[in-house]
Amino acid sequence: MIRLPDFAEDQEYRILRETASAYAAKELAPQAEQLDLDPKSWRVKEAMSKAGEIGMLAALIPERFGGGGLDAYAFCVALEEMAVEEAGVAAAVLVHNAALLPAALGEFEGLITGVGPDAYPACLAFPGDISVSGGKVEGRVPFAFNAQECSLITLLPSGGGGTQAATVRGDADGVEITAEPYQMGLRATRAGSIRFEGVEPSNIISGGNMVEEVERVLFLGLAAIATGISRNALQKAYAYACERYQAGKMIIEHQQMRIFLAEMLAAVEQGRALVKKACEDGGLEPAMVAWLRATEQACKSAMDGVQIHGGYGYMRDYGMERLMRDAKYCQMYPTTSQEALLRLLELSETG
Amino acid sequence: MASKGMSKRGKKLLTDFPVLNALYEHDRKGIEGIIKLVEGATEYNRTVAAPCALELDERMEREPDYFDWDLMREACKYRFFSLAIPEVLGGLASKYMVTGMALVVEELCSACGGIGLAIAAHSLGVAPVIASGAMAHWDSVLYEIVEEEKKGNPVLMAYAITEPSAGTDVEEPEFLEVAKIGMEAKKVKGGYRLNGRKCFISGGSEAKYLTVTAATDRSRPLETWTTFLVERDMEGYSTPRVELKMGQRACHAAELLFEDVFVPDSHVLGYEGDGIVNGILLIMAASRGPVGSIATGIARGAFEHFLAWTKERRNGKRPIDEDRIRMALAEMWAAIQENRGLYISHTLGGDALFRNAFTHPLFLSAFLIPRQVRASKPYSAILNSYYGKGLVNMLFRYFIKDDDATDMLAKASLAKFTCADNAMEVTSRALELMGMDDSVERRWVEKAYRDAKLTQIYEGTNQLNRLVVYNTEIAKTLRVEIPGPFKKGVR
Repeated sequence: MIRLPDFAEDQEYRILRETASAYAAKELAPQAEQLDLDPKSWRVKEAMSKAGEIGMLAALIPERFGGGGLDAYAFCVALEEMAVEEAGVAAAVLVHNAALLPAALGEFEGLITGVGPDAYPACLAFPGDISVSGGKVEGRVPFAFNAQECSLITLLPSGGGGTQAATVRGDADGVEITAEPYQMGLRATRAGSIRFEGVEPSNIISGGNMVEEVERVLFLGLAAIATGISRNALQKAYAYACERYQAGKMIIEHQQMRIFLAEMLAAVEQGRALVKKACEDGGLEPAMVAWLRATEQACKSAMDGVQIHGGYGYMRDYGMERLMRDAKYCQMYPTTSQEALLRLLELSETG
Repeated sequence: MASKGMSKRGKKLLTDFPVLNALYEHDRKGIEGIIKLVEGATEYNRTVAAPCALELDERMEREPDYFDWDLMREACKYRFFSLAIPEVLGGLASKYMVTGMALVVEELCSACGGIGLAIAAHSLGVAPVIASGAMAHWDSVLYEIVEEEKKGNPVLMAYAITEPSAGTDVEEPEFLEVAKIGMEAKKVKGGYRLNGRKCFISGGSEAKYLTVTAATDRSRPLETWTTFLVERDMEGYSTPRVELKMGQRACHAAELLFEDVFVPDSHVLGYEGDGIVNGILLIMAASRGPVGSIATGIARGAFEHFLAWTKERRNGKRPIDEDRIRMALAEMWAAIQENRGLYISHTLGGDALFRNAFTHPLFLSAFLIPRQVRASKPYSAILNSYYGKGLVNMLFRYFIKDDDATDMLAKASLAKFTCADNAMEVTSRALELMGMDDSVERRWVEKAYRDAKLTQIYEGTNQLNRLVVYNTEIAKTLRVEIPGPFKKGVR
């Protein structure tokens, strides 16, 4: 086993970390391979409803509306722990919560009743080109997680200063969801593209910087999930390196392999530190930086993890190649890293 | 310069590989032969591989046991299974055997890494039969491959090295010495009894003939490493399972089980105990270049699909109109051209080495004897005898010197790890720039990303290949020593 460096956290986060970790060990770890291989099965639904039992399906909804009332950091802590076992389920939880967030921000009680396991999955139709005019939703979202068989879709219209959101029912007239023909990573999220043609929204919510808040939660959540993937890669690769004999000694005794493993450890440290800082500071920019760096590192950790496993790493059974696919998807959503970089500079320019 | 009558594909090939363009002036016929092969691969991609590659890859995830024999039957029309078989035997291996192979494989892998691997793995299986000079089997096994191919029946071979507890260890002498070997070939009267397992064997479950490496004494693998020719029908041999891989799925990675399989003495390729050289170092020296071309093909496929994606209009804009995308395209193209330069300088070097042996009058004169006689039992017995093997060996030894083989291995390993790393970089980068959308091009690049990872692992991990380059080029501690002729038993 490998011990991660001590990480100073308040008691409440520590408790949450333990709860989420126990959930992941019990519900996700034993069936991680099947959750990835067959996301349509009952397993994903059950894992999700169990996540609901620990309050993860209404995590960001204020307590007065019956939600978990977690702050951003607490949510990230839980996601990281879940992602250590299965990043797909963690991502599904993240997107579900991000889709419910506008309702919480707009203090829209009508929507919030019924939040919980029953409302799963809520799909976040973002980013896309959507307009809401004359009480009708028009437009198209090329890629959305949790799209298949979703019960609720939250959409964020382009323009209007990003202060508006709308919800539609997943089965409303004029909503056309096309399942992603082959999803490489984060497969428990069952993605698809969505077309809206003259759809009547169930609710229109406005208030605050709706789009920015949703984006911030996505960036932070994906950074936390990516950190979880790096942790998973580190643990698995370390365990394998200790038991596999290669070239006259165990893999763990090979210097270059130790450097790979140390890089993964550094990736976990970096990811955690950036997520924590971004949560404490608030604002979109630190969240973007955390996402940029953590996902990049996760891709590298996963790739090196497969390399340490050699041929075994490339095969499904060892659960390593899944990390490569999941990490890449964390890096490709909600925007591309270069577009994020361009925006980061734009946000930081003063005049 | 390219001639007027040359096809578009041919001209493109000479532009992409300036070294071929330079050679064209000196050896028009030879280079035209290569162009013809690549044109065949382009045609195969267009009509057969590309239309089904995505669906096949996705299907293989649901049904890992499925194998698309139609793809292989179609490949027979282009004679892809004769690429490594010498022309005197009816094959296509000209004096540019390794180069032709690498270019065809790059072309095939640009459409689908898995289909390319299925075809390339066969030639990898053929290679030890040729490199060990086991002429007794040339007129039976290789002849059968060529003849059946002409009728449209693929007869496949595979090369089995990797064992469950030793992968990279069995590909380098220094490591083989200390490897944990599970497989053993025990000497019995008239032959050997093979026991043990091989794993991750590309094409192993479809192969009719396999070249299998095994130690005759597990405690001394380096000295007793031997290459055997195993036939699928031999009693006790089975392929219990195939793996579910992340990519390159069109070609199975199979587990092979040997339960007391009797292999006659005549099926030892080369001498007992010379497997590390005839069976591994020479083969790796010849094949790691083409593995570099597999990686290059995958990267090129990703590049082409990425390029198509950048020209699609989204939200009224085309990515290709952006500066950063143009820069990225240039860098990806540079990586691909770097790969090509590396692997082709290796393959041309390899061809220069082999060509002397395979075009020598002494070698060719052996084929003046009618085939019926060559394939007869007494003649095979002579070739399989101590003196027969010694004579063939002497000829090979005359042309392929230790230093040349060492140099070839160094270049091959260098090309292999660089090409694989570049391919991973190109595919990764393309996905990072594309982000999420519903374009079909994204699915192609995702497939290339999954396919590319395997090239960093097989034929010795990239880390092993780095060590080989250090040992051969820098420390000069690894030298390929081709066994001398008239060698008696185990060292």
